[in-house]
Amino acid sequence: MKRSGLLVGLALGTATLLAATACAPRDGGTAGGGSAPVDQAQLVAALPAGTQPVERVTWSVVEGEPATLDPGASANLIIPNLCDNLLSLQPDFTIEPGVAERAEFVDPVTFVIDLRDDVRFWDGSPVTADDVVYSLQRGQNPQSQWYGAFALVQSIEQTGERQVTVRFNAPDLDFRNAIAGQGGAVMSRAFGDEVGPALGSSDAGLMCTGPFVLEPGGWTPGRAIEVVANDDYWGDAPLVQELEFVFVTDSSTLATALTQGEIDGAYNVSPSSRSAFEGEGAGSLVLGPSTASYSFGPATAEGPAANATFRAALSATIDREQYIDTVLGGLGEVQKTMVPPFSFSSLEAADIYRAGYDALETPGRDLERARELLEESGEPLDRPLVIAIPAGAKEFQQTATILQSSAQEIGVDIEIEELQPADFGAMFYDPAGREGIDFVSTQGYLEVPGVTGYPSLFMLPAETGGVFNWSGYDDERVTAHMQAARTAPDVETAAEEFVAAQEIFTPDQLQVTLAGAYQTTYLNDELSGAVTSIAIYSSPWALHLGGK
Amino acid sequence: MNWTRLLLGRIGGLLLTLFLSSVVIFSALLLTPGDPIAALAGGAKPTPELVAQIRAEYHLDDPIWMRYLQWLSGVFTGDFGRSFVYKTDVMTLIAPRFGITLQLVLLTVLIILVAGVGSGILAATRGPGVDRAVGILTALGMALPGFVVAILLIWIFAKSLGWFPVYGEGAPGWDRVWHLILPAVSLAVMFIAYVSRVTRSAIVAQMHAEHVDTARVRGIPRARIFGVHVFRNAAPQILAISGTTIAGLFAASAIVEVAFGVGGIGSLLTEAAARKDLPVVQLVSLILVAVFVVLNAIADLIGALIDPDTVTAGRQA
Repeated sequence: MKRSGLLVGLALGTATLLAATACAPRDGGTAGGGSAPVDQAQLVAALPAGTQPVERVTWSVVEGEPATLDPGASANLIIPNLCDNLLSLQPDFTIEPGVAERAEFVDPVTFVIDLRDDVRFWDGSPVTADDVVYSLQRGQNPQSQWYGAFALVQSIEQTGERQVTVRFNAPDLDFRNAIAGQGGAVMSRAFGDEVGPALGSSDAGLMCTGPFVLEPGGWTPGRAIEVVANDDYWGDAPLVQELEFVFVTDSSTLATALTQGEIDGAYNVSPSSRSAFEGEGAGSLVLGPSTASYSFGPATAEGPAANATFRAALSATIDREQYIDTVLGGLGEVQKTMVPPFSFSSLEAADIYRAGYDALETPGRDLERARELLEESGEPLDRPLVIAIPAGAKEFQQTATILQSSAQEIGVDIEIEELQPADFGAMFYDPAGREGIDFVSTQGYLEVPGVTGYPSLFMLPAETGGVFNWSGYDDERVTAHMQAARTAPDVETAAEEFVAAQEIFTPDQLQVTLAGAYQTTYLNDELSGAVTSIAIYSSPWALHLGGK
Repeated sequence: MNWTRLLLGRIGGLLLTLFLSSVVIFSALLLTPGDPIAALAGGAKPTPELVAQIRAEYHLDDPIWMRYLQWLSGVFTGDFGRSFVYKTDVMTLIAPRFGITLQLVLLTVLIILVAGVGSGILAATRGPGVDRAVGILTALGMALPGFVVAILLIWIFAKSLGWFPVYGEGAPGWDRVWHLILPAVSLAVMFIAYVSRVTRSAIVAQMHAEHVDTARVRGIPRARIFGVHVFRNAAPQILAISGTTIAGLFAASAIVEVAFGVGGIGSLLTEAAARKDLPVVQLVSLILVAVFVVLNAIADLIGALIDPDTVTAGRQA
């Protein structure tokens, strides 16, 4: 079985983009230090739907301009408003019908999708079962961002006028969640065949069914992407007539433009500008639940980094509360393991997952124990260890500096190596790019519910999907439990198997999780209706956006 | 005769400079570490097959000289390549952005000339008090980096007073000018100081020249002396420095464009360099070099027009 990642592109894409964009030599506000703590109860997944039509909304995508709008090749915040997925992911991470009226496993290896009959593409042509077969088959291409979700798929066929059946080589409980994300984006076969590989580029564009339409010429490369309301949308038509995406990547410029009301909203605004956002301004900072987390992990199978006890020693040196205060401006929480609670919060067996998570030890600073672990690891301290971070990205710089100074307290020397975005990105697929590097600092998130995908990348043997398993971790029990979790016949068994695996892999710290980050949104006070949870990556977050 | 030779010599030198810079830019970019594959793969996780396909498609494995020749022949046929990141023709990407930077630079030049030359003249002619005040201000202006000025201006005029927009280039026309004023001022500050000092010293030098004394003794009105004798003779020097300054503005605009979110050529260059988008970086760099040498040449020629003696003298020396 090959599991590539739902998160592969994301973990690396996000890091790369952050690096490419955060070249600011200055701050919009004061960072961290004494900022008010946030209560879980303050988190909102979506704002009340807008009630008034709005002519035009300008939205900044802080990650910068995407290279493509093809849902199979890119995960960005624009696509979810253009292309509907088969199932519709809600702000609270529950799943509702979408273009598919019903999509269920009828037996453990047969998944049947029944389509609505009233969904049309932007050009007016109806969505057919054939279009859905075409769209899903795109995910079977190893180059697709969502290939991992299709790894166990045997066949995808039309089995009725409005029915598509997906057959599996083994049960796969993650599949239904995956098609609520961009892996289930519905595309027009006729359009795809016509434009070929140019699909999603500024020249060729797209043909989807979503609430906003990308018209020819709507994308001016290097400048802006403009989309307009789809008045014939199969659901309620959007209230916003024109939605313009701009790409202000300098966090300070963005903070000013947002608070002055020149830009109406942005997601993933920098926590370092928190004070500016919370001060007087045209809008407000909204915090939402997220699956995003900061961590660092081994990039090599040689030396101390590949030693779980050594990693545990490093982990025990870090004061996570202080980390959250410094790096996230207080906008996050301690996370016990690499799978954040929000990713299972809406699953049927959430209670089992929750109990498993709660049973895990809360990581914290304990220098005495750190020294013991270091001793136990038997690793010599004869050379400094190198941690790679993307150049110019403040959060990563701070992460590395904090690690450096806390590791110093048990006598471990850490060197920081800043890599240019292209090199940092290359590191993730080219072993030569990881030479001389012991650790890599990452930030990732999960865009659909589900628990097995992310950890699999780091702990399964490479040939079974551990594409980031650079330390050569191979624990038979973990592998067995993880496989059993994914192919379990029912959700309870799956949950129990996962929890059993998690118990074993968490102390091994294949990713030393530093903090979970909240979803940040800044929205003009005259607007409402935006989705404000991590579901923005998979759902049309501007659909209910409108005037108050 | 003299003029034709001068012009031909200038054009020859210009082409040579451009050729050499293109070689340097091209090889420097290819020799810097980093791999454009990430940009080219466009977000997808590149498989070995895809990497091989991309390397072949973009000739990434050819020797540098061969790729340079391919690129050069493209330039002569009007094909500047396709952006690795945006997958569109580089020229269509750059053209509109160059227009915005040009507008920004023109506005900046206007500000520099009015404020720089103006304050230089004041310093040279209005007594030691004014001279000292201008001296202090220009020292301050030279010391402040552009991005610091940008922050200050944004803070005062955009955030606190709300007079100007803080981001973007606005719509063409008056809105554009309005959007570009703060960026232009922050870009201008350092250069104003420079031009002001050069203007001041050139004028002071002229005022103590023999023919000016003679004119004064002969009772010619002050204004006339200043216009005909002092300023005209100081002009070539002021122009020369202004030419270099303006040329430098194109490169200096990058920081200001990023700070103000202006979609010009400088911010494009910054972004393209970070993403290893080679065709874009190559062309933008080359355009910047071309603008620099052309503007310098023009400044020289104008200087020669105003005062032909300096040319002959310069050529013979």
